[in-house]
Amino acid sequence: MRWKFGFLAFAAGVALIATVTSATGAQKLDPGVTAKTIHIGGTFPFSGPAALYSAIPLAERAYFLYVNAHGGVNGRKIQFTYYDDGYDPSKTVPLTQKLVEQDKVFADYGSLGTAPVLATRAYLNAKKVPQVLVATGDSYWGTDYKKYPWTIGWQPDYPGEAKIYAQFINSKIPQAKIGILYQNDAYGQNYLNAFKSGLGASGQSKIVSAQSYDVTAPSVQQQVVALKVAGANTFVLFSTPAATIQALVIATKIGWHPTEFVNNVSATETFMALATKAGGNVEGAITAGYVLDPNSAAETSKPGAVLGKHILDLYDGGKSIFDTNDMYGLASAWTMVQALKNAGNPPTRAGLMQALLSLNLKGNPWLYPGFTEKTSATDHFPVEQLVLARYHSGGPAGIGSFDPFGRVFNNTH
Amino acid sequence: MRAILGRLAICAAAAVVLALLPFTLSGLNQVLAARVALYFIAILGLNIVTGYTGQISIGHGAFMAIGGYTTAIMSADHHTNLIATLPLSFAIAFGCGVVVGLPASRLSGVYLALATLALAVSIPQLTLKFSHFTGARNGISVDGTVGYLWLYGVSWACAAILFVVAWLVLRGRTGRAFRAVRDSEVAAASSGVSLVLYKTLAFGISAAFAGVAGSLFVLATNGYAQPDEFSIFLSLYILIGAAVAGLGSLWGVMGGAAFVALLPNISQSAPLIRSIPVGGQDIAAGLVVVLVMLLLPTGLAGLLQRMALAASALRRRSGIPTAERG
Repeated sequence: MRWKFGFLAFAAGVALIATVTSATGAQKLDPGVTAKTIHIGGTFPFSGPAALYSAIPLAERAYFLYVNAHGGVNGRKIQFTYYDDGYDPSKTVPLTQKLVEQDKVFADYGSLGTAPVLATRAYLNAKKVPQVLVATGDSYWGTDYKKYPWTIGWQPDYPGEAKIYAQFINSKIPQAKIGILYQNDAYGQNYLNAFKSGLGASGQSKIVSAQSYDVTAPSVQQQVVALKVAGANTFVLFSTPAATIQALVIATKIGWHPTEFVNNVSATETFMALATKAGGNVEGAITAGYVLDPNSAAETSKPGAVLGKHILDLYDGGKSIFDTNDMYGLASAWTMVQALKNAGNPPTRAGLMQALLSLNLKGNPWLYPGFTEKTSATDHFPVEQLVLARYHSGGPAGIGSFDPFGRVFNNTH
Repeated sequence: MRAILGRLAICAAAAVVLALLPFTLSGLNQVLAARVALYFIAILGLNIVTGYTGQISIGHGAFMAIGGYTTAIMSADHHTNLIATLPLSFAIAFGCGVVVGLPASRLSGVYLALATLALAVSIPQLTLKFSHFTGARNGISVDGTVGYLWLYGVSWACAAILFVVAWLVLRGRTGRAFRAVRDSEVAAASSGVSLVLYKTLAFGISAAFAGVAGSLFVLATNGYAQPDEFSIFLSLYILIGAAVAGLGSLWGVMGGAAFVALLPNISQSAPLIRSIPVGGQDIAAGLVVVLVMLLLPTGLAGLLQRMALAASALRRRSGIPTAERG
């Protein structure tokens, strides 16, 4: 009788332990995660003024489809839902709420544009939904992490880029007389201030004129003429594509041939080709880049460029020309997949943020060869390296290319 | 009298439905319903100036921007209670509407439309000029966060109050003067109706409505105001909403508002529209406007009126005494 009771007690104990462990074993999955899928989503401009960037989410989708065809992330397939917000924050907000509350996505990934991301940042952080690898180069995503721990950017930030132009001019163009054209808002001023601090006290004396323009101004002719009259031989542009193209064309037409520095977001092959078509001489314009240029003779046969074209042919059908926007999408999606792999199994939202804050990735096939992605608890900027590149018109497929030169710049925060 | 009682009954029923509705909606749909309310207010305002007074405005997005920025700036810089910013938006937008309405009262037809178009294009750009005040491209956020149910309640409360205001303005002497100006300026003027006074007044009231709608618009955008939100397309969509609703009547406004507010979300999910690679939403909106203009030139309001007429004709024919006779 006695051992029977003991046996029963023992059995009950075992049963109890078994229930407790099985209860913890069958843990609740985070929203957007099932045994077979991980659902992520984002908002992008497919219409409106920034619709040109729609190549980015399509390349990202192509990469996710490619990963799914090769087994997915730890056996789970990535489901990527994207909505067109037309670059209008008032549309981004309800669409993001829809992604979170109706589509129940695991994370908001890659959403594009400073204003749309600013509009949804507080909401996503209040809901503890990761807002990751946002496609904008402002510094907020990396600096405001104490207030917004669920948000992180990806690409190098604008001030870091400006400092690289400054360093290059200081070391390589000692007799520079710098003329600057900048957009008169936070975007242009961030660039300008970082550029000045990068030049240092002695370098700043090289600035002969800094002209601002309003984003609404119909023409920047007056400013470009003023820069020429001031005797500048080095032309630095912190502007947006339309004004950049116009300024480069005007410079040529008034017979001014300075060394040109064009900031990254305005320096794609497409924009340069437009400037050339309108009569601008943009041969040799310098920018700073971080993704592969599939049109550059030096990079077109790199494994990344070859694999990228293969993936885009398969899953982003029928494009004849690839540019840096395509490579941007692939590179960003690659980083996302790496982070998802390290976000736990099953992945959790907290795990994803943890993974993104302990990145130490080498070999992203679509970043410039040798670039790393590194983050830590205090460094929330994944890509911090840039390389200068010079524009040469008329590469393969009749489109020009930015050919990298010189050393790699580290822009650590 | 019976007609008024009937309308009051409809209003009371709508109020009960709207009061109970949020408890059956998810948070997401509460926000969508709040957006219907704010477009309801904006279209109501546009209807006063365009539908009742005959002055075409393509610039109501500008007044929404003024209202929206009033709320954002008062809350962010002066920590004003969000509800207290609403009457302020009403007042400031009214003032701006009067200022615009005075010169606009000398214009008519397509010239007025162009002048208001210029307004819609220029006002959002002004925010870039005064960046320390408005945050320029980076926008400005209200102090604190806005709950879904709060947003729903405040939006529909505003809509109800402004609907009553619109009804009171339009039913009496002022409304008659508005309609007289619309139907014939010469006849109105020779009957002693001051054209300048009533056109300006219509513009002011209409702008004030748009101002409140703009405040709610910013609150429904997570309390974030930014120039891209108030693009020319916002003005055009309000005009589209008014056309769908039917100009010159208050009863179709709800349909027009629902159309404008729900279209972005519907067009992102509807399989047919989604399959259009670029601008599916705008194409859908354009098609609906073409169809409405072809089939229902007087909008939803005209449809309701026609249905009411058909019903009473049917009743007469079948020998049932109509309300008027009985």
